[in-house]
Amino acid sequence: MMKKFAAVNVLFLLSLFLFAAPALAQCQLGVPAIKVGAQGAASGPHSDYGRQIEMGATMAAEEINAAGGVLGCKIEIKFMDDENRAATGVKNARYLVTDWGAHFTVGTDSSGVAMAMGPVLAELKRIHFFTHAATHRLTEELVAVKGIKEIVRVSVPVYQDAIVAALIFKDRKDIKRWANIGADYEYGYTSWNLFKETLKKYRPDVEFVASVWAPFLTLDFSPHIAAVMAEKPDAIFATPWAGEAVMLLRQSLIQGVFDNVQVWWQAMGGSVDVLEGISAEVAKDRFKGKLWATARYIHNWPDTADNKAFIERYRKRWARFPNYSAETTYSALFIMKAAVEKARSMETDKVLAAMKGMQIRNPGGLRVFRDEDHQFIYNVPAGRVVADEKYPIPVLGDLRVFEAKDYYRYPPFTAVSAAK
Amino acid sequence: MDTIAFQGLIGLSLAMYLWLISAGLTIIFGVLRIVNFAHGSLYMVGAYLTYTFYGQMGLPFGVAVVLSLLGTGLLGLVMERGFLSRIYGIDEAYQLLLTFGFILILDDAVKIIWGGVFKIPPIPAFLDGSWPVFGRSFPVYNAFVIAVGIVVAAVLWALFEKTWWGRIVRATATDREMAGAIGVNVPRVFSAVFVFGSMLAALGGAIGTPVRVVAPGIGATMIIQAFIITVIGGLGNLKGAFVSSLIVGVLSAYGTLFFPVFELFFIFVIMAVVLLIRPQGLFTR
Amino acid sequence: MTARLPSRPAILAVLLVLALFLLPWIAGSYPIYLAMQILILAVFSLGFNLLFGYTGLLSFGQAGFFAVGAYGCAKILLVVPNLFLGIAGGVAAAGVAALLLGILSVRHTRIYFSMLTLAFGMMIFSIAWKWRDFTGGDDGLVGIPRAPLEIPGLVSLSVATMERYYYVVLVLSLLAIFAMYRLVRSPLGLTLQAIRDSETRAEFVGVPVRKYRLIAFTIAGLYAGLAGALLPPLENTVTPPIAHWSTSAEPVMATLLGGVHAFAGPIVGAFLFFIIKDIIVRFTEYWLIWFGIIVVALVMAFPGGVMGIFAKRRT
Repeated sequence: MMKKFAAVNVLFLLSLFLFAAPALAQCQLGVPAIKVGAQGAASGPHSDYGRQIEMGATMAAEEINAAGGVLGCKIEIKFMDDENRAATGVKNARYLVTDWGAHFTVGTDSSGVAMAMGPVLAELKRIHFFTHAATHRLTEELVAVKGIKEIVRVSVPVYQDAIVAALIFKDRKDIKRWANIGADYEYGYTSWNLFKETLKKYRPDVEFVASVWAPFLTLDFSPHIAAVMAEKPDAIFATPWAGEAVMLLRQSLIQGVFDNVQVWWQAMGGSVDVLEGISAEVAKDRFKGKLWATARYIHNWPDTADNKAFIERYRKRWARFPNYSAETTYSALFIMKAAVEKARSMETDKVLAAMKGMQIRNPGGLRVFRDEDHQFIYNVPAGRVVADEKYPIPVLGDLRVFEAKDYYRYPPFTAVSAAK
Repeated sequence: MDTIAFQGLIGLSLAMYLWLISAGLTIIFGVLRIVNFAHGSLYMVGAYLTYTFYGQMGLPFGVAVVLSLLGTGLLGLVMERGFLSRIYGIDEAYQLLLTFGFILILDDAVKIIWGGVFKIPPIPAFLDGSWPVFGRSFPVYNAFVIAVGIVVAAVLWALFEKTWWGRIVRATATDREMAGAIGVNVPRVFSAVFVFGSMLAALGGAIGTPVRVVAPGIGATMIIQAFIITVIGGLGNLKGAFVSSLIVGVLSAYGTLFFPVFELFFIFVIMAVVLLIRPQGLFTR
Repeated sequence: MTARLPSRPAILAVLLVLALFLLPWIAGSYPIYLAMQILILAVFSLGFNLLFGYTGLLSFGQAGFFAVGAYGCAKILLVVPNLFLGIAGGVAAAGVAALLLGILSVRHTRIYFSMLTLAFGMMIFSIAWKWRDFTGGDDGLVGIPRAPLEIPGLVSLSVATMERYYYVVLVLSLLAIFAMYRLVRSPLGLTLQAIRDSETRAEFVGVPVRKYRLIAFTIAGLYAGLAGALLPPLENTVTPPIAHWSTSAEPVMATLLGGVHAFAGPIVGAFLFFIIKDIIVRFTEYWLIWFGIIVVALVMAFPGGVMGIFAKRRT
């Protein structure tokens, strides 16, 4: 049976080869197709992110190809599951570039995977567009300090999760006691430290009364919730994401947390998978308007024709709303297209030169490329998680929009403590 | 003081999930002498089936749980009759490898059937909300989980100590040749025990469905916890599994409260120390 | 020795080694990368099988020593960029860890031994995860250089390119394989097998069983350490999952795939492990299920592993 399986595959590869040949004629880059390797977490509680990366990349490629491709070249996508594991991510990157022949790579959810891939990208000499991994160190350290030019980040780093929260809640004089339910890895530590650091600047009077940490694959947050609630906090700062965020919020509801706190900040609570997971509770107003969140893109903002059309196409294609890893990946492909068309080449240096000073309109709004650390800068609002009859899933309402300059960090960068 | 008591109660509810999954593992080991690596995957299958019956088809929660136990039991039967029973004669390492193969198959099978996206159906209305306990709000659901765990413990005790079937199983566990010689149908006992153990794992997964995430890979997380419990309690020792579930569940709840950094490390230290000092488990004479 | 013609397996082995040395000329960089992964897993599995196939102890904690080797090598390379030092240091650290934990582990056999090694492996995993100042926590250690092979004042050979580093991995792996080949045929190896077959008989003739088990455990740890130490210069990164029990399962699977009772079993198994996975991954993202089916089918059809097929034919 295996033999037959292999034979069919050889035939398949052979036919791909034959059919790819004529395409060569029209493509001005001299390749059969522009190959883009995509990666993300496609298994486990965080798996919706990988799926969304795959959907975003696929849809972008379909649209670009239908409109004639990039300089006449079709885009070909191959998606791989990185299992949220650094070793797998690195191996995938090597496979995609050296064997499958990727010209660009895109995606990556976890900060740990991203940090491990960084140095390997330099060796592989391929640009990777990071579309979710949030650690500030990826751009601040690996790009700005170590000079790994192959790293480009389309999504907002951890600034969004921490600094935006501090800017919103510094004005809430009734909140004096903050507690943290953190993701037990670097993303969680830096978010909490950056939040404390920023909030302290404005509000020396606040206290940080408790902090508990939950590792990946925590199934039960009850002890964490009970432990922070013992300190009677006014507000909770929470960083677990995706499926874990849904569980955390559910388990908090049944411990009556929302009767006792004023605010719950769920950093990446604006992600579509989380909003879907808690939509019944939001519809019944179980969170009493106390649940606040942001995301790296939120489907009800910006209120532009571009964004609305994007969501309509996306829903038609996948019957889902795009979460931020979908929008950032979709946009990454258009950024790649713009840069390659300007450079008329796929060489790293020429593409990067073409990206210098780039300003591009994506569904998520205007993105501006920052040369020092290869970070795209754009705005995403934060808001209250509310139901909206125009949407089948909750949205962020009561939006607070900040100028990017108010919450992005700028070079030269100072170190952020990654201690607990 | 109230804080400590409340955290202890939360720990008790954690303990019951551990108890349900390790009970099945330890019973299967006690009788079949097989360490079933795929036991955590049966927990996962139980959770997914409950999601389908309750979350998707809208059956009452209790009915969904029962159906998912039956479904997982059937899967257990296929695993035991179709595969494990054919290789009882060979090195136990190959039996381990076989069950490891099942983990890989089941992990991907649930992805193919239910997709990679995690599932959490709503909490059944009668289990929603909380009760005031020690000046705090204790979730009704966690109380329900504690109740289920205690009922299962009582039923298992009665089953093994008071019934004819329990005596046969215990006889087979003690000496399978002897049991066979006095007319016990050993292969049938093996199948029954394996199916029964699978259903216990599924029960753990099933009652966790509305509050804990259902996703591919949760089986691998659960199996390690189940190993820790069964080793501390003594492999094959049901009573030991119950007591060590309580200890580990409550300690890890306190660990979260008092020394979150070392929680994981200490649990493995306890496991190693027990193995070194009392390999038969803390609670086996 | 002089007049005897080389046997068929010997010819095969020589041809294979030759092909491996020529690989960079005939294959692209991905096959070379894959070959390194296979060699590393082969060394890892050979050590594991000394413990399992030859001594009868099934360890579920070998990833712990693999990780000690990897982290040890990485820590050294980050301070002193000298590959000799890094690899030697990693191997030594793993050897010491295996000796110390081995003293405790070999007090048990069978499932208790397996559970004990699982606990020790997971202890090392939780240290790698939690001791951020030393191990970098969940992010691990990054930016590990592929440092030159250097003897100060004498030679300094750059192995920065993939192809050159491949030769480092190849030569060290072949040396390790050859050493193991000699070892299992030495009195030590034969004693270990005697213990596996009957502990009481070995004890009766005066073999200090526990001491021999400890020796096997330590050697297995050294092999895991060598395999681990070869990894950081290749990947530039070390992260905690390499210490996790699922990594311990890799040599177990490779060895069982290839066959426990043939010397080359773990090597063939390591090859099969990566090739099967790599082929399946190309066509479907659901590779686990196929791998699982293959594992189950192999156990059901050839409980002796793939090498068992040949063994059966020979008899």
